[in-house]
Amino acid sequence: MSSTTGTMTATSAHPKTHAKPVSMVLHGLLAEFDDDHKLVAACKKVRDAGYTDWDAHSPFPVHGIDRAMGISMTKLPIFIFFCGALGTATGVIMQWWMNAVDYPFLISGKPFWSLPANIPVIFELTILFSALSAVIGMFAFNGLPRHYNPLFRSERFKRATDDRFFISVLASDPRFNLNSTRSLLESAGAAAVERVDDTSESEAPPRLFIWAHAILLCLALIPIAMIYRARNAPIDYPRLHVIFDMDNQEKYAGKQAANPAFVDGRAMRLPVAGTVARGMLRQDPALTDGRVGDRWLTVFPANVTIDDALLKRGQNRYEIFCAPCHGFDGSGNGRVTDVARERGLGWVEPKNLHDEDVRLRPVGHLYNTVKNGIRTMPPYGDQISGESDRWAVVAYIKALQRSQRAAPGDVPTEKKDELNNRK
Amino acid sequence: MHHAETIDIMQEPRHLERARTVGHQALFVGVAALGAGVAVALFGGKLDGFLKSYLVSYTYFLSLALGALFFVMIQHVTRAGWSVTVRRIAECITAALPIWLLLAIPLIAMAAKIYPWMTQTLLSPDMAALVEKKRQYLNFGFWAGRIVLYFLIWSWLAHFFYRKSIEQDSTGDPKLSHWMHQRAAIGLVLFAFSLAFAAYDLIKSLNPGWFSTMFGVYYFAGSVQGFFGLLIIVVAWVQSSGRLPRAITTEHYHDMGKFMFAFTVFWAYIAFSQYMLIWYANIPEETRWYLSRQTGAWAWFSVFLLFGKFILPFLFLISRWPKRMRELLIVGALWILLMQWCDQYYLIMPAENPESAGAGQLPLHLNDLLCFIGLGGIFIWAVTQRMASCSLVPERDPRLHEALAFENY
Amino acid sequence: MATIVHEFDNTFEDPQKRPPLVVGDHSFHTVTEAVCRINESPTAPALWWIIFVGGVALLANLGAMIAYLFFTGVGVWGLNNPVGWGFDITNFVFWVGIGHAGTLISAVLFLFRQKWRTGINRFAEAMTIFAVICALLFPGIHVGRVWLAFYLFPLPNQMGMWPQFRSPLLWDVFAVGTYFTVSLLFWYTGMVPDLATLRDRAKTKIAQIGYGIFALGWNGSARHWHRYERAYLILAALSTPLVLSVHSVVSFDFATSQLPGWHTTIFPPYFVAGAIFSGMAMVITLAVPARVIYNVKDIITLHHLDVMNKCILATGSMVGFAYITEFFVAWYSGNNYEWFTFKNRQMGPYWWSYWIMFTCNVIIPQIYWFKWARTNIPLMFVISLLVNVGMWFERFVIIVTSLHADFLPGAWDTYSPTWVEYLTLAGSFGLFFTFFALFLRFLPIIAIAEVKGVMPRKHAHGHGHGGDGHGHLEAAR
Repeated sequence: MSSTTGTMTATSAHPKTHAKPVSMVLHGLLAEFDDDHKLVAACKKVRDAGYTDWDAHSPFPVHGIDRAMGISMTKLPIFIFFCGALGTATGVIMQWWMNAVDYPFLISGKPFWSLPANIPVIFELTILFSALSAVIGMFAFNGLPRHYNPLFRSERFKRATDDRFFISVLASDPRFNLNSTRSLLESAGAAAVERVDDTSESEAPPRLFIWAHAILLCLALIPIAMIYRARNAPIDYPRLHVIFDMDNQEKYAGKQAANPAFVDGRAMRLPVAGTVARGMLRQDPALTDGRVGDRWLTVFPANVTIDDALLKRGQNRYEIFCAPCHGFDGSGNGRVTDVARERGLGWVEPKNLHDEDVRLRPVGHLYNTVKNGIRTMPPYGDQISGESDRWAVVAYIKALQRSQRAAPGDVPTEKKDELNNRK
Repeated sequence: MHHAETIDIMQEPRHLERARTVGHQALFVGVAALGAGVAVALFGGKLDGFLKSYLVSYTYFLSLALGALFFVMIQHVTRAGWSVTVRRIAECITAALPIWLLLAIPLIAMAAKIYPWMTQTLLSPDMAALVEKKRQYLNFGFWAGRIVLYFLIWSWLAHFFYRKSIEQDSTGDPKLSHWMHQRAAIGLVLFAFSLAFAAYDLIKSLNPGWFSTMFGVYYFAGSVQGFFGLLIIVVAWVQSSGRLPRAITTEHYHDMGKFMFAFTVFWAYIAFSQYMLIWYANIPEETRWYLSRQTGAWAWFSVFLLFGKFILPFLFLISRWPKRMRELLIVGALWILLMQWCDQYYLIMPAENPESAGAGQLPLHLNDLLCFIGLGGIFIWAVTQRMASCSLVPERDPRLHEALAFENY
Repeated sequence: MATIVHEFDNTFEDPQKRPPLVVGDHSFHTVTEAVCRINESPTAPALWWIIFVGGVALLANLGAMIAYLFFTGVGVWGLNNPVGWGFDITNFVFWVGIGHAGTLISAVLFLFRQKWRTGINRFAEAMTIFAVICALLFPGIHVGRVWLAFYLFPLPNQMGMWPQFRSPLLWDVFAVGTYFTVSLLFWYTGMVPDLATLRDRAKTKIAQIGYGIFALGWNGSARHWHRYERAYLILAALSTPLVLSVHSVVSFDFATSQLPGWHTTIFPPYFVAGAIFSGMAMVITLAVPARVIYNVKDIITLHHLDVMNKCILATGSMVGFAYITEFFVAWYSGNNYEWFTFKNRQMGPYWWSYWIMFTCNVIIPQIYWFKWARTNIPLMFVISLLVNVGMWFERFVIIVTSLHADFLPGAWDTYSPTWVEYLTLAGSFGLFFTFFALFLRFLPIIAIAEVKGVMPRKHAHGHGHGGDGHGHLEAAR
């Protein structure tokens, strides 16, 4: 331990309880000032004396001290700008890849890659990355966190965060000289100057500290391992029901047991005698079912009038419900069929409505197919609701069929001229 | 330098007599250009096209003057210190407001040529039925009355703040500052409503079926953005004429640049919100307005506006040094002024009906330029006449010393 | 002790002077002392215990309500079809709105060089963070099946499907999440120098280690301050658009829909103004008692309260402007549904909520045109509470009145909240006040270093900017 005089002895004997005495080396000089103006004035002198390894300390940022100390503008903003740009890129690429490439799905008719809807997240990520880089960058450029600092050994220095102003000149500075530096600081208006010592070797952190970190690190890995296992390992037991009654509801469905609540043991009540379900009142089977007895209707029912309006309606319904598979012209080349073919999915191709067997079917049969479906074609009775709409579709199909094998005589006279002129 | 030396404002050259002759020249050029425009329109037989060109430049210069009025009031209401040295110049810019009431006369007189709701026969039957529902608001008498009312409010506010400020030059009475502080708060309330409704009446009602609650804010955002561009140009002109050499410093340019940047971002925020919400909800009566602006050449114009009014200025102004380099900042300010004009063009010019013939074409015409020069000349005349008549700085404002010693951190 | 006991009126109207931001005979040390003694005192004031115990009790109630919700399902709430959002989202928007004043005061006012922010920014920021925590709770619990909440984040589900980025609800997650993170960073960064002060004053080992760890070894180095100030300025510049974006994104939840009363383009700026309005009111609600309990009236002065009340007047009027614009454009649109919705708000089954909202948000703050009202402490406390009530009802009006009667009259229904919803709302205040009480007790409630930077004494030696506070201090004595 180097010898010290005057006020400095107190510092080196800083009350630290160690098992064995540690040797101390000179760290630097610490000068105390009364107010910020004296500090700024002193900083100019230290700067002009050519010191490099020194610093000023104040409880709040002192106006104009940057220039007084010769601190050049930090490069932090450039770092933040690039991190922000990285955030922008992350926002763009993440949304594009997740929603337009890896798992595209259609929502409210918006394109997979819809820039206006992606801007908010891009913006937020830009700000998030910039702000994180600003704080992390600032502390990292400042060399913080650094919980141990030899200056903290000085009792006087505790007021650096309260109401006192300091200049510290480190012994590592090439111009440092215990006496000349001290007299420079004193002449610069320091209220007091003291030397600060440091231990010669770095102390190992307490064992408890290391163990605590190791255990925390291991604990932190457990959830990650559990998630990894849950996502990859097959299980042979039923999954956990967090809220029981969402999956297992208290009802008699499928229990095959008598319900004690009712004498007949049924879980559900029968409708009142004579109840007719909605849409089940079949007073005119020709109209509602397309048949009379076992025979399909071969002509349209009497109360269906084939006119322009009905065909227009039929076309409208057809193009919504039938055309996706059967195609707009009925030849079985709808968009769904196309996609199924492109992707090579195994599926039964829809019927070409111009095939002879379809052409020769009675209209009642076609009506029944629209309403109840046939083979793999599902029933459309619920979507194309109302007898008149279904008959309209049948009428339109008949019109389509006729259009494909029309004779010259079928063309109305006013359209004939148009055809002749077209060439 | 670090410690701003005390500047005696009375030693500064602060009168610009030359402005008067510049103004007379500008007026001459302006009137000549307008006359040429009218002649082109009459011989070409396209008076409605001329009126639309007129309206573009009319709302453009109006937006700059309104931005100036807003600036003056917001400085008073917040008791700002930094801006005192440039506030008088903004007060001078507001001189155009009463003149703009006179220039509204041809617009009001021939409004039926460009506002489709005035002539029922021009509208489709559906639109006519819709307009009929709004007849209590959209009728010529009420509309014209409102336009006059807005200008009376603005002219009165502009006159009040200018007159009190001039009065303080001679009396130095600090009470006037307090008085203006109080009046500015009330003035801002009047300003908010009058500007929003003026934007509905002058611009939005060109498409009587379309509506957007944001529209007033949109016009406001562009107005203030454009105004800061103009303020930088005028301040630079004053200083290049050797006036106020020490009263206005790089620090003030830096701050004006910051505000121009801030309102660039604010405009983008408002424009994006309006666009995105209408795009997202996809309701036909709203999207048709944007559809006209995304058809044909207008789609490219929209993209140009996005880059020109936001992305380029944003990247240009984000850093500290371009705001502190006068020449660069002037380039930026001129660009912002140009883009504010393009924005008005974008709001006014596209066809009302996106399906109509010629909807996708930019109707660029010689009259666009002639009206710009014409109204610009008159605008410069109005501003410079006032600049020539008074001190260019509120020389006895109680907060002037703060502005003179002002420094950014 | 240099603190003043009586109110000192530093709300000067004289344009030749700037009001001092710290009144009384303060030195740097007494400012440190005035703030740090709150944390260092071995006992807490009685009012603190009332807030803390009350907060914890309500928090326990919140826990019970959430547990009941999770184990029984969202049916315990009064939501129905068509009113699928009720108290849950009302509370979410309410708390997010409260959380806007902190960043406004820290960031926007910092950019505008409004030095008065230094007195109140720390606890406004704390309020922001706790309010955002309360807000984040509600979207988390309202989904019912909380164990699927991971799907809010960009993680693939069991089918390898990613979240839907075209949905405003997902934007919310990013916006509020970013806002929470950045507010926390801002708050913490601002607090590091003050934590160092507490560390250096600490008498006990626990306090030394506790404050020491979070102070990161801060030693007031000028080189550190240089980067710190730059980073702080940039954080402020980043937070300003962020604070605008957060409530804008929240407003997108409504405005991107086609529902009358929700789909209106002015929503983003209008929500932001409303958020700042309610946040400022909450700052007043908290500041008025806090400055009395801890006797920091000379740092949070009457001038601070006066200026905040002006902000309340300004933002309240902006909100009023938006109400009027919406109402006018609903008529002007010529759209029957739009017009019906706005009439229904005023005269339909929820007319009372509309008029509570309009009275509290637009009419009552107009009293702040008068200075006596802005400087009357009991009055401002009452008004701040009323504004909070009004802003809660604003979200209720927007959500419930638009949902309960939309396009199809056959689907109309009314919504009545259940006791679970009322207690959950009360419980969210418990969460807020528990955190806030802990903050008051253990962290520096005023930004000590920043207040020292704007103290009148500092300018007494002729530093250019900031006016001559010294003259004022003389006047103040």
